[in-house]
Amino acid sequence: MRHLSNSVRQVLGLLAVIGGLAVADSVQSEEAKSRMDSVRQLEQQVFDIGRKLRCPVCTAESVAESSVQIAIEMRWIIQEQLEQGLGEQEILAFFQSRYGDWILLDPPKRGVHLMLWLLPILAALLGLVFLAFSFRRWQNVAKNSIELDNANLNRVRKAVEEARR
Amino acid sequence: MTRWLFIVAVTGVLSALFLFGLLRGKPDREIASNLIGKHAPDFTLPLHKGFAENLGENFSLAEHKGQPMVINFWASWCPPCFQEAPALATAWRKYGTEVLFVGVQTQDPGRRDEGQKFVDQFALGFPNVFDSQSSLSIDYGLFGVPETFFVNSEGLVIYRHTGPLSKITLDNQIGKLVR
Repeated sequence: MRHLSNSVRQVLGLLAVIGGLAVADSVQSEEAKSRMDSVRQLEQQVFDIGRKLRCPVCTAESVAESSVQIAIEMRWIIQEQLEQGLGEQEILAFFQSRYGDWILLDPPKRGVHLMLWLLPILAALLGLVFLAFSFRRWQNVAKNSIELDNANLNRVRKAVEEARR
Repeated sequence: MTRWLFIVAVTGVLSALFLFGLLRGKPDREIASNLIGKHAPDFTLPLHKGFAENLGENFSLAEHKGQPMVINFWASWCPPCFQEAPALATAWRKYGTEVLFVGVQTQDPGRRDEGQKFVDQFALGFPNVFDSQSSLSIDYGLFGVPETFFVNSEGLVIYRHTGPLSKITLDNQIGKLVR
């Protein structure tokens, strides 16, 4: 009986160890998962900010997409600044202070850059006005009856008859 | 008449855009820098071999405050840098006692030895440093290489030149520094 109870004790002990390991493993994997999530979130933030910055030495490429060294360094700076707790606007301002507005892929809505936002709207409005005038002119032309003298009327009749044959 | 005016206006706008595009592609041009009128960003970077013997391992800009400077950014893969190097070496021999010349090898990762060859090839006697991470490129808002910054004795950037330097540009800009 004592022998049996020892065995039971051993089995229970083993089960407790296995259970403990399983709990520890699940806690550890939770921690790893949360670490991975925060790394992914940081990477996504770096990418999102990088997409708003022009790669200074590339043609039509953002810092997020370029693989040149300066773009890689800029991504490092963005990551460092995010880790220091800086916000997106502060990070964009950091690069803007060095390169000027040129570095921003979304030009600011002020000064000469305002033209970039207003010109397409202005062009669309002008296009609409042009179309409205054109339609009105065509309508007026369609409304006015065309007066033909007999000679021209006969020419038209003749042409229609020939076409029907 | 209106139609002609319209054609002339459209042609004018398209020609202006075409010219703008042509000028944009020209490497030797003035680009406004956000640093003009501001203090030249400080840096401490490792020197190329020949200079380390006399000046130590690192060069620090802060140690040379009060001196007018010409800070030239270059890379060992860049043909315009090779093109301007003789003019820069000549200017250093002419003005080196009045103006501090500093060369910065940048946007050139892992090519420090090639940079050393560049320095030796043109017998550049002024300090040349290696910006291995190109971080100084970002501090100075560089678009590419070569680029040169002219800094007055108060430490303020007064002119930035993009593209290869000519003797005339060097003489004009250094003239303003030592005036």
